[in-house]
Amino acid sequence: MLLEIEHVSIPTDDQKRMIIDDVSFGVKEGSIHAIIGPNGSGKSTLAYAIMGIENYIISNGKIKFDGNDISQKSVTERAKLGITLAWQEPARIDGLSVFQYVSLGIKDRKNLKEKVTEALEIVNLEPNLYLNRFIDESLSGGERKRIELAASIAMKPRLIILDEPDSGLDVIIVEDFLNIFNRIKELDMTILLITHREDIGMVADYGTLLWRGTHLLTDEFPKVMLQYCKKAGLKDFCKRALFKNGSKCFDDDYIERIFREEGV
Amino acid sequence: MVNSQYPEDILQSLEDYNIDIREFLPGHGKGAKLLLDFNKISGIDQVEGIILKGREIENGIIADIIIKEGTSHEEPIHLCFGVNKQTGIQEIFPRIICEDNASVKVQAHCSFPKADGLIHKMFGHFYIGKNCNFEYSETHYHGEKSGALVAPVAYMYVGENSVFENNFTLTKGTPGKVKIMIDIYAMKNSVIRSTLKAFGKNKEDSIRIRDSVFLEGENARSVIKMKAAARDGGEVLMYGVTEGNAPHCNGHVECNEIVLGKGSICRARPFIRATDPTSSVSHEASLGRFPQKWLDELRAKGLSEQEATDVLIQAMLRD
Repeated sequence: MLLEIEHVSIPTDDQKRMIIDDVSFGVKEGSIHAIIGPNGSGKSTLAYAIMGIENYIISNGKIKFDGNDISQKSVTERAKLGITLAWQEPARIDGLSVFQYVSLGIKDRKNLKEKVTEALEIVNLEPNLYLNRFIDESLSGGERKRIELAASIAMKPRLIILDEPDSGLDVIIVEDFLNIFNRIKELDMTILLITHREDIGMVADYGTLLWRGTHLLTDEFPKVMLQYCKKAGLKDFCKRALFKNGSKCFDDDYIERIFREEGV
Repeated sequence: MVNSQYPEDILQSLEDYNIDIREFLPGHGKGAKLLLDFNKISGIDQVEGIILKGREIENGIIADIIIKEGTSHEEPIHLCFGVNKQTGIQEIFPRIICEDNASVKVQAHCSFPKADGLIHKMFGHFYIGKNCNFEYSETHYHGEKSGALVAPVAYMYVGENSVFENNFTLTKGTPGKVKIMIDIYAMKNSVIRSTLKAFGKNKEDSIRIRDSVFLEGENARSVIKMKAAARDGGEVLMYGVTEGNAPHCNGHVECNEIVLGKGSICRARPFIRATDPTSSVSHEASLGRFPQKWLDELRAKGLSEQEATDVLIQAMLRD
């Protein structure tokens, strides 16, 4: 496993309640692993804790990366080990050009422009149109997200955490993002995909279902999806989602039976 | 044209601003130029429609710059007020007249790379006529010893329907003691954009800037943007003033300052006043540190907190 979450708990600021409660699962290297669950289930909190963001301190458990405990390491140290996070709503730092921003995390500064260009192409942004633009209000939310993704890709990390990359995007653009995730995977990077949209998760190999801060299941994504739908009582949605793009995961009868057994 | 052998130290001192100052030396580039080496005029280039005259006085010069009616140039008029000495007094009295319907840029460089007890004073008058596009940018470098006392004062009149852009930048090196006072009077339908950036880097650095816009003409508009950072005991005071004294005028003052390290002080004092009931004047100010989320975003790309802060300062004070 590239990433191991072992009995991790994350309390609220006032320590009165657990946002994440004794969660354990692993993420295989080279996979796309989705963490799904309804709003408020602690997905983003867990993502920030994996990245080591200050206000998301784990009170119990361990986070292991490549077999080593990184629970006490800073954000910078984790990034240097090969973990990065593409933010749900990345900041607009209007004095930085796209070129400067995307190149921030590139360690080997040789052929910098080439590397930045390549990263922009992966996220389907025309380099000539974007390299000299600034990270300011003139960029749409979708453009800003792509630039964030390009900056993450340019680092060549081993693990990219994508925090709700689909939020605020049109359906057509979401489709494009799914293709980008597959391209990232082809570049031997592992993706930990945080989403509450199940259609986004369909690109994933594996999934983890969080429910009110607890871990319900980690398995192949369709199985996790099925469990999620059962839990949420979404039979029709489950049929649509699991038959999406013709990739039949479970037949209709199976889904009917599973739901019947659950009394849904 | 007067050929110039300009001190290399001054030329090199501005490279951090990504300025190739050689382009602006007499005999190079296309723009009009006036170069001052301490208190001696070392070069003047004139171009069609622009009259440049300099007269040496005891501690400096009186410079007259007249842009004739209808003149339009892409190349900036370059003014270089360099001092390659540690001490001394340099006093500049520029009088700039931009006649109606002209469109020009003026780029002034004030570089004192060896300053250690040096005094630079400016007392400028700008008259911008009607229907002009006038841009004035002043870039300063005061060396690395916090050894300059710099006190420019400028009065600027901006005529009807003119657009005036004022940029002041002091972000490289250590500023020393800086006191700047700018008064801009905006006439009917004029547009003023004034941006000032400064960075104090140690306890010897004290920067005080007062930038005032008086909206005196109907429908005049202005934005003052003041951006500053103070580090390791540095002190910055930004005093942004806008008065709305005419019908339907509109002004805004924005001030962003970042404080880094113990003993550093940033202060913002926006002063806004409206004396016409149809005018509108506003201000916003933020002081302190960069948002933690911004720092986290950059740290997640492998930058240390210090590196992330430096990147954000550079971005904020971008030239």
